[in-house]
Amino acid sequence: MDFSDLHKQLKSMEGVSKVSHIRKNVIKLDLEKSVSKVFFTKLKDDFYFEHCSLITAIDNQPDFELVYHLSCLSGELSVDGTKMSAMVEVHIHLQRDSPSVDSVSDLWFGANWHEREAFDLMGIYFIGHPDLRRVLLPEGFAGHPLRKDYVYEIHEEEW
Amino acid sequence: MAEMWISMGPQHPMTHGLWTLKVKVDGETIVDADPELGYLHRSVEKMGERRKYFMNTTLTDRLCYASSTTWTHSYVLAVEELMEVEVPTRAQYIRTIMLELQRLASHLMWAGAYMPDLGHITGALYFWRDRELFLNLLELPSGSRLLYNFMRIGGVKRDLPDGFEEKTERILKLFEQRLDEYADLFENSKIFRMRTEDVGKFTGSQAMNMGITGPNLRGCGVKHDLRVEDTYEIYEEIDWDVCTREAGPGYSDCFSRYMIRIDEMKESVKIIRDCFKKMPKGPTMSARVPIRASGEAFRRTEDSRGEALMYLVGDGSDRPYRWKIKSPMFTTISACPHYLKGYKLADIPAIMGSIDICIGETDK
Amino acid sequence: MSAKGIRGNPELRRGVGSKTTDSEKIMEDPPAGDWLALRSDQLLKWIDDAVYNASEATGMREVVDRVTRPIFNFAQRFSPHPLHFGIMCCAIEMGQASAPDHDIDRLGLVYRSSPRQCDVLIVNGPVCEKLRPKLKTLYEQMPEPKWVIAMGECAISGGPYWDSYSVVAGADTFMPVDVYIPGCPVRPEALMHGFLTLQKKIREKEPGMFLRRE
Repeated sequence: MDFSDLHKQLKSMEGVSKVSHIRKNVIKLDLEKSVSKVFFTKLKDDFYFEHCSLITAIDNQPDFELVYHLSCLSGELSVDGTKMSAMVEVHIHLQRDSPSVDSVSDLWFGANWHEREAFDLMGIYFIGHPDLRRVLLPEGFAGHPLRKDYVYEIHEEEW
Repeated sequence: MAEMWISMGPQHPMTHGLWTLKVKVDGETIVDADPELGYLHRSVEKMGERRKYFMNTTLTDRLCYASSTTWTHSYVLAVEELMEVEVPTRAQYIRTIMLELQRLASHLMWAGAYMPDLGHITGALYFWRDRELFLNLLELPSGSRLLYNFMRIGGVKRDLPDGFEEKTERILKLFEQRLDEYADLFENSKIFRMRTEDVGKFTGSQAMNMGITGPNLRGCGVKHDLRVEDTYEIYEEIDWDVCTREAGPGYSDCFSRYMIRIDEMKESVKIIRDCFKKMPKGPTMSARVPIRASGEAFRRTEDSRGEALMYLVGDGSDRPYRWKIKSPMFTTISACPHYLKGYKLADIPAIMGSIDICIGETDK
Repeated sequence: MSAKGIRGNPELRRGVGSKTTDSEKIMEDPPAGDWLALRSDQLLKWIDDAVYNASEATGMREVVDRVTRPIFNFAQRFSPHPLHFGIMCCAIEMGQASAPDHDIDRLGLVYRSSPRQCDVLIVNGPVCEKLRPKLKTLYEQMPEPKWVIAMGECAISGGPYWDSYSVVAGADTFMPVDVYIPGCPVRPEALMHGFLTLQKKIREKEPGMFLRRE
């Protein structure tokens, strides 16, 4: 399957908007939160994205944004006949008062700890995650430190 | 037989860093495992939001203590993508040489740490001795043994010193002789093969799903290398091959993961030699580097341990708004229940050693 | 009188030439209760106190100390057993120091993986909030006498992570530190110098004694 076909097919899918190429081998798109599970299942099963590179949570003040980087490692997707590895960047916007989204850890096992980390440091809840607890910080830590409104004490002066 | 949980770590000779592996054993057989991280969580991402773009290279150097320059390079590439900075060709060649020297040092450190796990103290001494050669080489241009801070946004810190090529060539020649020696010591050693063969198996498709990349994935026979597939610097112009190994049809074991790293070291030697041949003269730093950036950018690089991804969001100021680090080992450790299950307790050092753990990047 | 009472009695601790050489007072009755119900730790404590007081009162302690002190001191000085415990970058340099090029083993260092067999704890990296209780446990598991080396900037003061929300500002905020080695990372030569400094400190303080009491 070719990468330009993927662009067309992704554009026609439900809940998808702002599809654009940000590099030769990367497609960026915005996704509705409600259709995320269906979309990711199709992305994995039909479009050969068998690797979840990264899940990033961004505190956009006031809203949250989740960024999924999904890649194809096996070379099933060809980018203009070159050997480049294809990648999709998916943005999902979340409300601040209900930061929750469907978990994708049953599709990609590698997403499991990325979701735990997003929960730990940013306080995003992943519905259906098998084991959603803190991964980097100790149990009982108060707050989610990567949020912009998290305040902590620094003893030195600002330069 | 009764099942019980055994906790290994954070202080345990198996761990190679600060993490805890809780294993559930039935007699000697592993039934389940629960890795735990976070003992080295230094909050690099939050600290990066308080520092300017060019200051963060000191933090990225300290991300992975075994291969610091590859992580700084990954960050610098992402910032250059964000700021749209062009890097001079000579700087790209110097970067490639430094990256490959660092990869050699990192793989040698892995081998030096892996051998005592298998009870092979001689191996440790041999590999540490050879690593010292490459540390001396890396010290020449950068002035530091371990954390170089050599990659800068828009180029490199300084040009290579005089006589660097001859010194490198001499050491590479010596190193190649020693690699043949190691083949006799390890690959042909019956005890080494008994400890590593048919242990810790996973297939290529499993590995991709579990988030395992880099040498561990290439050890399954998957021909995936970001130096080719998402190419950066001048890897396209250099004459080299992506090497793969497999233990059987489509799966890897500890021995194939050892062999793939030995092969990669040979390839790195080739890349360094070719870089010296093709390196042009010219400046090593971009003429104009902005300090403010807006928008978002990410770059993937092939770290010594797998896919390193830096994702940066700028808001128009001189500090990143959000900086996210993807560590290959983070997901590889998370998948350890999959490839530990069914093996014996005594196989844990052999398996966990073979995937090359570095906790510094994992805990961020 | 309880066992604690004997130790607290200043007359008994006076040493050579004191009037309280009365053996009946020194060999006090065992702790309250009958012999059968005596717990082993109480028994050990009683024996310990009895031997200490006897040697103190007869002047034996000072004689034995004079003889054994240099021997114990020599042994402790030239065979520090550091814990094989790596936190961050400096741990790599600690390993590299044992490699053939620097060969720190010639100072008598033997790295052990169990804290029960060690007397030097090298803190070679930043101590995070999650690690602090574990590190404290490791320190407490080590037998006396023990020393702590803070290796690198992170262990001294937090170093590059001074404004982090999870890094403790130095190892000396929660445990006693004997030797500080600056550097980021510490070079193997500096680690060697740190161990030589520790040896000097041991020689000057002479902690090696027979029957030591606070």
